[in-house]
Amino acid sequence: MRSIASIILLFIAASVAAQPSGFKKLDDLQTFRTAMSASSAKLQNITSDFRQVKNLSLLAEKINSKGKFYFMKDDKVRIEYTEPYSYLMVMNGTRMLVKDEQKTNKINTGNSKMMQSVNRVMVDCMSGTVMSNPDFKVTVYKSSKQYLLSMVPVSPEMKNLFSQIEVYISQAALDVEKLVMTESGGDYTSMDFYNTKHNTPVNEALFKVK
Amino acid sequence: MKHCLRLSSLLILFLASCAAPYKGLQQQKPISSVYKYRPQFNKTLYRCIVDGKIIFKKFHLSGLLFFKQLENGTIRAIFQNEMGIAFFDFEWDSAENFKVKQVMPQLDKEAVLKTLRKDLEMLLMIGMDKNSEISLGQDRGKQQLYRLNRTGGYVYYTAEDDRLVKIENTNNRKRIVTVSLQGDAAPASMPDTVLYDHHKANFTISLTKIERNVNE
Repeated sequence: MRSIASIILLFIAASVAAQPSGFKKLDDLQTFRTAMSASSAKLQNITSDFRQVKNLSLLAEKINSKGKFYFMKDDKVRIEYTEPYSYLMVMNGTRMLVKDEQKTNKINTGNSKMMQSVNRVMVDCMSGTVMSNPDFKVTVYKSSKQYLLSMVPVSPEMKNLFSQIEVYISQAALDVEKLVMTESGGDYTSMDFYNTKHNTPVNEALFKVK
Repeated sequence: MKHCLRLSSLLILFLASCAAPYKGLQQQKPISSVYKYRPQFNKTLYRCIVDGKIIFKKFHLSGLLFFKQLENGTIRAIFQNEMGIAFFDFEWDSAENFKVKQVMPQLDKEAVLKTLRKDLEMLLMIGMDKNSEISLGQDRGKQQLYRLNRTGGYVYYTAEDDRLVKIENTNNRKRIVTVSLQGDAAPASMPDTVLYDHHKANFTISLTKIERNVNE
């Protein structure tokens, strides 16, 4: 009898441990989905600054970078790293442009399932359609100020890259505030978005890939 | 006869072009070991750009290359893209045993791993036959040249003004890789810029040091 109680206690402890600290699993998914859809319907574009930190867990090291982020409905993303190096990534539908200090490369992501999946993660996170991404199993948590979407990959392409992606969304504005991409080895990259603005005049030429 | 002369000139030219690199340099007693230039570092971050061509297809890759030496002497080299996704993670323990900790499936090919490992080992001055070290060349002015044996060939280290300026990997006939090193850092530190030129495989790797933006 005592052993059964111990097993139950262990099971409860494990369930609590799996839950991110300060967050509780959200049971009312329908309300959340409705709020996201309503917010997404009004959204035309997002501009934001970001800070990126790559955490090399076993080496206790952090590599920092920062830049500017743009999203334009339906599927245009521009990520512009400005420090400590110059690097530009533009995704426009199935086309992608990558520019570093030396060269500009144009890639047709339609030829690569992996690139398509990475592309879709970025677009889904910004347009609020994460819940319907077939490459991940998504669980939603809630704290007093944020929603947390825990995305665990189910497709082999995404499993190769990540063990989990966490998307932190503000409850007030339903903005993505933080993205944490964890690799299978435990290293993770976090992107913090700040100075976020919605529906400001954004030049469509920023997303040009031709 | 004229035809024969032309043929023999061509033959001489061909043989000359096949002559071993650094041929004719005289062996000297080493004044000091090349290992005094072995880079001592805690951590170093480089901007890394790879450029090349396989047959008619060009390729271009950029990212960050991070070196860290742990207290137990283990060295790690991690190459990741700008968004933080790791391309590879290599480790050498204090006895210079090599291990691939992680590699992206697209790079997980024996020839690729062998080339990358060799390139990094030349820079870190590991994986060579230490007992084979000789010093070469009396008439190289300010330059001091060292040679070490490495599987299938040699590695030549050229020092000038008490710092390494060039590393070259050759077989018995040809140069395979030339590595140009530049920087104002101390003699036994990681160079500020490194340029690998793979003559045979037709690609370059350029490294530019980024000192800040790495925090413990």
